[in-house]
Amino acid sequence: METEMGFSRFALFLFTIALLSSPVLSDLVLSKVDRRIYLTSQIVRYTATLRVENEGSELVSEVLLAFPELQAKNLAYLTVSVNEGKGKQKVSTDDLPIEVVSPKNMPPAVSFYSVTLPKGLAPGDSLTLDVMAVFTHALQPFPEKITQADIQLVVFQDSAYYLSPYAVKVQSLSVKLPEARIESYTKLENTKVHGSEIKYGPHEDLPAFSYSPIGIHFESNQPFSNAQEVEREIEISHWGNVQITEHYKLIHGGAQSKGEFSRLDFQARPNVRGASAIRYLVATLPPRAHSVYYRDEIGNISTSHLWSDSKKTELLIEPRYPMFGGWRTAFTIGYGLPLQDFLFQSEGKRFLNITLSSPMVELVIDKLIVKVVWSGKSSFSSSLDPVFLCFQVVLPEGSKDISVSTPFPVKQWQETKISHLDIDGRPVVVLEKTNVVPEHNKYFQVYYKFNKLSMLREPLMLISGFFFLFVACIVYTRADISISKSSASYLAKQQWEEVQAAIQQVESIINRCLATHDKLEASLRDLSRTGDVQACKAARKTADGLLKDLSKELKPLLAFLQSSPSASQILPKVEDLVAKEKELQERVMTKHSTVVDAYERKSAGKDIENRVALQQQKITALKQEVDDLMEYIDEI
Amino acid sequence: MAPKPIASPVPDAWYPTLAVFMLAVGLVVTASFFIYEATSSRRNRSLAKELTTGAVASVFLGFGSLFLLLSAGVYV
Repeated sequence: METEMGFSRFALFLFTIALLSSPVLSDLVLSKVDRRIYLTSQIVRYTATLRVENEGSELVSEVLLAFPELQAKNLAYLTVSVNEGKGKQKVSTDDLPIEVVSPKNMPPAVSFYSVTLPKGLAPGDSLTLDVMAVFTHALQPFPEKITQADIQLVVFQDSAYYLSPYAVKVQSLSVKLPEARIESYTKLENTKVHGSEIKYGPHEDLPAFSYSPIGIHFESNQPFSNAQEVEREIEISHWGNVQITEHYKLIHGGAQSKGEFSRLDFQARPNVRGASAIRYLVATLPPRAHSVYYRDEIGNISTSHLWSDSKKTELLIEPRYPMFGGWRTAFTIGYGLPLQDFLFQSEGKRFLNITLSSPMVELVIDKLIVKVVWSGKSSFSSSLDPVFLCFQVVLPEGSKDISVSTPFPVKQWQETKISHLDIDGRPVVVLEKTNVVPEHNKYFQVYYKFNKLSMLREPLMLISGFFFLFVACIVYTRADISISKSSASYLAKQQWEEVQAAIQQVESIINRCLATHDKLEASLRDLSRTGDVQACKAARKTADGLLKDLSKELKPLLAFLQSSPSASQILPKVEDLVAKEKELQERVMTKHSTVVDAYERKSAGKDIENRVALQQQKITALKQEVDDLMEYIDEI
Repeated sequence: MAPKPIASPVPDAWYPTLAVFMLAVGLVVTASFFIYEATSSRRNRSLAKELTTGAVASVFLGFGSLFLLLSAGVYV
């Protein structure tokens, strides 16, 4: 194998350097190193327990970790913590700050990471470090192309010795493989195989930069689901929803498929014919997720399942076709989350507290873009000021804040997005991160200021839209949009409108007269109940005055109607109406006076009724006639 | 100070009811506006009355359609 040859040459080169160059950081010695490498999925997880001793005479405050450059370029995630416990009681403290360094007089093709010890390591002291590293794309398919019926074999390469700038006294390495065939592995002295685990070591007293390449060739039918790009949009609506939309561009990153694909074979024996295919993906969504959808450019994809309980919502999605090596697909999932689970207020500022990465299980993401969108906000300058973002690992007690030294830096910028009911777009904060593994799926916070009144922007926009419609109607009914202002028909129309207006005024006056009549009737009823003649007389007086005014108002209108030629048809009816009303008015007055007179003379109730009965009949008949006339005029 | 969760000013469960109620009121007021427009003659129509009816109708229709959008899942 060419790559392995390269590796050995590289190792030889390192050995030479290690022998030639005088050790620079010889103060520290690793008294014990235990490495464990988990190759059970496509993501390579690596843990190492280092027992560091200071044999020098000065306080040491940083420890260097070395990775061959070939591994370092695949390194997605690295944390180091101090293990303070002894024996079974292992207590890991917070993650230590790590930075990439390139010290002088060091061999090339090795990347260094400097771990800062907060308290330092005094001469003669020792401490235990827990290193956790995650690598992506570290398993090379070999052969690179397989048919549908073949199993997928991969190669993993590393060093049997711990690559370190310090001398190592005792070390051991164990590699955990999936429960399947081991094709071949590099055999050194002290190499043991227990089931699916290969153990190298223990090796003793090795100098700095010792390197012995090993290769393990084994069967791994785990689906290599690899998202080339995931775009995650988190949209906050202060009306009670956090909407998440995730666009995936997925590729099967394992051994390329060659030859034909037989759907029949795959359906009949999926575990043999297509063992390494991606058949489904599982996403663990937060609890109370609702309105979940799964679609692509064509439309809805129906092969999905959803389970939910109080702790999580589990979504299982099947792509439109089983995915073999090198095959691609693109799809979108979306879901809504209740606002109160993710948005909080603290010291006058609001903040969003949500997980950064995709909820997919065991997915490697080459490029993750997270967009946070606000609704009901105008721009950054006015209301989103000052925005600051920080990444925090939220610890169980929420006690420590390591926002300054972020475990993983991200690219960040701001833009705007136009969505529904927007004028000048919504503010968007965009975060970009490459090479993302599930370990990156931590909570992050976005702090911002928000004015509650800006929630009213959308309703106000709708209201003004409707109001504009009404104003348009008002303008339309008022506007005179005829072209020829001198034509006969236009003038006739104009006159007719004047007549209509006059008639409506006449009608309203008559209506007021009728209302006054009703008032008089009411005063009579009051009289029969209370016997208060004075009140009744007063009512009569006001009614008299009112009716006089009304008849005065009526005069010019009638004169206008008489003079107007276009009113000639309707005029008799109007005159008739006015006459009838006058008669009615007189009858009502007579009745009123009769009743009041009778009361003043203290006549018996029956007597009054008899006297008024005839008048009452006539009044009723007249009222009916007036009503009929009004209706007739209305219809014209 | 412990962070306080933030919820919508109007409970989500009320959105459909509010949408129906406010749209109904809004449509009734709109109807009265158009009846007035159609029946009163051009000369003795009152602008103030038209504008107030229109404003009341648009407030109800505006909030009604907002809640309709929210209850339909379009979180504006």
